Amino acid sequence: MVSRSGRVWGLIADQARLRGGLISATDACAAAVAAVEVTGAWLSAARNAEAGYLIAATNGVSERLAELELTLGEGPSLDAATAGAPVLASDLAAAEYGWRWPTFAQAALAAGPVAIFVFPLRIGAIRAGVLGMYREKPGSLSAIQLGDALTVAEIATLLLLGIDGNGHNGADSGTGPGGQPPDLARHRAEIDQATGMLTEQLSTSIDDAFVQLRAYAYSRDLRLIDVARDIVARRLRLYPSAGSPLDGDT
Amino acid sequence: MDGQLLSETFVELTDTMVADFDVIDFLHVLTDRSVQLLDVSAAGLLLADPRGELRVVAASSEAARLLELFQLQNDEGPCLDCFRSGQAVSATDLSTEAERWPRFAEAAQETGFAAVQALPMRLRDQVIGALNLFRATPGPLDPVGMRVGQAMADVATISLLQERNMRHTDALNEQLQTALNSRVTIEQAKGKLAERLGLDMDQAFNLLRDNARSRNLRLSDLAQAFIDGSEPLIGTASAGGQQTFGGSRAPVRPRRRPRPGPPKPGP
Repeated sequence: MVSRSGRVWGLIADQARLRGGLISATDACAAAVAAVEVTGAWLSAARNAEAGYLIAATNGVSERLAELELTLGEGPSLDAATAGAPVLASDLAAAEYGWRWPTFAQAALAAGPVAIFVFPLRIGAIRAGVLGMYREKPGSLSAIQLGDALTVAEIATLLLLGIDGNGHNGADSGTGPGGQPPDLARHRAEIDQATGMLTEQLSTSIDDAFVQLRAYAYSRDLRLIDVARDIVARRLRLYPSAGSPLDGDT
Repeated sequence: MDGQLLSETFVELTDTMVADFDVIDFLHVLTDRSVQLLDVSAAGLLLADPRGELRVVAASSEAARLLELFQLQNDEGPCLDCFRSGQAVSATDLSTEAERWPRFAEAAQETGFAAVQALPMRLRDQVIGALNLFRATPGPLDPVGMRVGQAMADVATISLLQERNMRHTDALNEQLQTALNSRVTIEQAKGKLAERLGLDMDQAFNLLRDNARSRNLRLSDLAQAFIDGSEPLIGTASAGGQQTFGGSRAPVRPRRRPRPGPPKPGP
């Protein structure tokens, strides 16, 4: 788990180095190709259950796939965004997908892709977008590839929500080695509950509440999980404020 | 053991073929019925995600949920041993288990639990998770109860793996990821509701679930709609079903058929 996340972060950092910029969600998209061994990948950002707008594509075919879904109004990204579940379509030529996306499946096959895997970028009710990948040969992802794809998607979600690998930009300060965001899954629940509580305390949306929670921890150099626990235990309340930095109270 | 409730429970645990099956709700039925039927104080359930990483997906109480999380965070405890070995793991007196699980044994006793049993969720070679049963008093767990508990875990596992044409692992993986994300949404909704009404997390969860059940909605859909603001849940504080619901659009679709509510005393 830790080694997998470290390896994937390494691939993403390689992409940022190649590009010569700070680590961003674009690099996660590019790293997906090597990490998951797919032909191409694309990344769309969206705050609700739609396909969203394309922010990265590793090649023309990936871009074409994203565009097709927008044009046709059907396809795996839309399904992944709506259901909040990954779509693992290992063979677009199978009857199942002909039924599911009558126009998209045909058009995608004509463009080259045969297998498409799309991962919703979500943290519960917080929606960031989708990460899509394709191959020109049919077949499921192996268990290892699926694990890597989920890891890339998890990191892409954090990057899209404004947490970068360098710890900048309102990053979570409960970081692991090398400034990496922590494995959120391990202490998920308190962070999720605190985020929900903040929607009420700050009268704001769930995605903004998450941003504010992280900003509070970052600006005070506290661990995200500690701040979350204090909020859940009602030792800490945050109040809406006109400007930043946020003011909290104990 | 309540025979009537037991047979109803087994029926519930095979009832996964409905169009709007909700994994989280289903697994909560398993933990709740474990407490009602097996003479245990609390139950928690861990499932492995597609990466083999265990996640807490259901618990009969916040205390049990936190204790499951504690095991994951500290990488030690009966649920992990059970998942890794695929065998039931039991500790009849946690005060003597400081060597086996130094941190877990202490945390469990602080929470008020004295004995624990972990049962594997397995089908043939595949172990998908583990069910943890906690008791407040030390002593051996009732062997009949444990057999029933394992039978419930087995039936639930089979039902989960066969849910909705689980033809291949792709479908199972899609399903698991959805369930894990629903779990996150439900925690967010619990936080929002707890803050709004001044409740603790257990109360918030029960309120959400009772509301979903009484209105025949999927728990995860209701949680999502509540966070989005399309489902205000006004009046959820008042008892007796005096609920009013605003919102101009129908935020969540009704379930096709009702799941049995909390058990009622027999005639």
